[in-house]
Amino acid sequence: MSRVAGIPGGVAESADTGTVGITLVFDQATVDLDALQRGAYAVAAEMTVDIRARGADYVCTLFPRGRDADGEDLRHRFRAEVNDQVLRVRIAKETEPLRNLVFALAFSQTGLAEAEDPA
Amino acid sequence: MIKLEQAATALPAHGWQLLPLRFHRLDADSVVLTNLVGEHVFVTPGELTAVADGTCTDQELLARLRAAHLIQAPGETLPTELLAIKLRTRMRRLPDSTGLHIFVVTLRCEHTCRYCQVSRQPTAKSEFDMTEQTARRALELAFRSPSPHLKIEFQGGEPLLNFPLLRWITTEARRMNAEHGKDLAFVIATNLALLDEEILDFCAEERIDISTSLDGPQDLHNGNRRRPGRDSWQQAVAGIRRVQERLGADRVSALMTTTEASLGRAAEIIDAYAGLGLRGVFLRPISPYGFALRRRGGAGYDVSRWLEFYEAGLERVVDLNRQGVPMVEIYASIIARKMLTNTDPGYVDLASPAGIGIGALVYNYDGDIYASDEGRMLAEMGDRTFRLGNVHDSSYADVMLSDALLDPLTGSLTLSVPMCSTCAFEPYCGADPVFHHATTGDFTGHKALSAFCQRNMGVFALLLRKIRDDRYFRDLMWRWAQ
Repeated sequence: MSRVAGIPGGVAESADTGTVGITLVFDQATVDLDALQRGAYAVAAEMTVDIRARGADYVCTLFPRGRDADGEDLRHRFRAEVNDQVLRVRIAKETEPLRNLVFALAFSQTGLAEAEDPA
Repeated sequence: MIKLEQAATALPAHGWQLLPLRFHRLDADSVVLTNLVGEHVFVTPGELTAVADGTCTDQELLARLRAAHLIQAPGETLPTELLAIKLRTRMRRLPDSTGLHIFVVTLRCEHTCRYCQVSRQPTAKSEFDMTEQTARRALELAFRSPSPHLKIEFQGGEPLLNFPLLRWITTEARRMNAEHGKDLAFVIATNLALLDEEILDFCAEERIDISTSLDGPQDLHNGNRRRPGRDSWQQAVAGIRRVQERLGADRVSALMTTTEASLGRAAEIIDAYAGLGLRGVFLRPISPYGFALRRRGGAGYDVSRWLEFYEAGLERVVDLNRQGVPMVEIYASIIARKMLTNTDPGYVDLASPAGIGIGALVYNYDGDIYASDEGRMLAEMGDRTFRLGNVHDSSYADVMLSDALLDPLTGSLTLSVPMCSTCAFEPYCGADPVFHHATTGDFTGHKALSAFCQRNMGVFALLLRKIRDDRYFRDLMWRWAQ
């Protein structure tokens, strides 16, 4: 998933709180907003993430929960998480019809799922 | 035969189709892939990328992925049909809800355990005993369950403080079962301090199993579990031996609760169990309910420290097995069945849909019905979210179709919850709406912040690493899974 363009940015200040955050910029052509949001959710124990669309990019500002958090570690952590989420989203989309088929087959023979009335 | 044919068929680049799969990075150079039913294969990060991108040329790896229903050749239909059969097998318990019925026959208890999860009452307060009228109505509801297997578990307080009712319920259940013909079993959850010959005789006649508490060595146990005379450990050990001699070694099991004092003493705890001839130990963290968090007995440790304790305990259990002493870590054995077979063990804390209500119902001494024992504990703290009704004015349909049950069930399904739905460990894990409600105020919780999630993810990853790296452990897990 090295195609994902996570470009280390600089230091930004949250307009809401004045808290200093760390920015990362992702190319909208290679990273879905869905993957970014899933990534932000998954790292919530370590940081909160502000995501904004700017031109052809998504600008993510990372706010560490711990006072002693290392900025570079957070960048790597979030970028790695987003890369994984990009792959997960891709696999999920690619396999969704088969997943639905397996569930339909599984429950069609249990009596739990009612057959649709063709009328 | 199918596997041999598959292995003989080379797949060209881009010549396979991904089946629904999820992945988790175990280490820097190891990833586990799981399919819809939890069958798994270990790969490297590079192999994951190559398989997902269609560029993998390693035919041996592709054959393993194909055998584990993680990929299929274009046009194949058998893998999806087999996955559907396995999925249906894993969920076959659902139509046969509810197998476990917990009767809280009294809240009285002569122990004052530091971590007690229930609202115990002094031994003289008989108004906290269940009555025959309430018990009869609870039994009528229990027998409405479609499950062919009914297990009636007597809890308290200390249930032996209301032994006459316990005996009445057992006899009455046997009488009612003559009509229903269910596979009926009984278990008493007791501290064993009140065990006597009359009770032992009754347990022998009725084939009642005993579940007790043993926190490990004497000083640790008695420090946690206090009673007049400070002899809880002596009473428990003597009781375990009496039950083993009178009823048989396999008719008594024990549970331990991890307090801060337990940390660092995992091997001693396991050895205390082995010394008593107990074949199983369940390494359990403290629960965030009832008296446990209100008093000093609160956990006092975080998930990472508990995981260190768990790993040390598991290592000791494995060492004993290597030395020829059969011993099972029960949590690992439950997960082994989920990881290595398609039969779900029906463990209520690792089930999705959650095990509340459909796995177990709790009848409190006053007739109130709860979706789980933890739900009852929350009620004792003033939160009646999981109260489903009362035996005296609720029908079976009222209970099982109540919003108090259906809302947490539908709100916590792991196949639709954020992070769970894409988690490689989802087939092994479960929803715990009571825990998340108790700790975060909603049934779903935020999994990145959830101690339930961190603890179980830690255990799953630990077990998978050991399965990957240690052939003896893998074989042991296979034995436990049977």
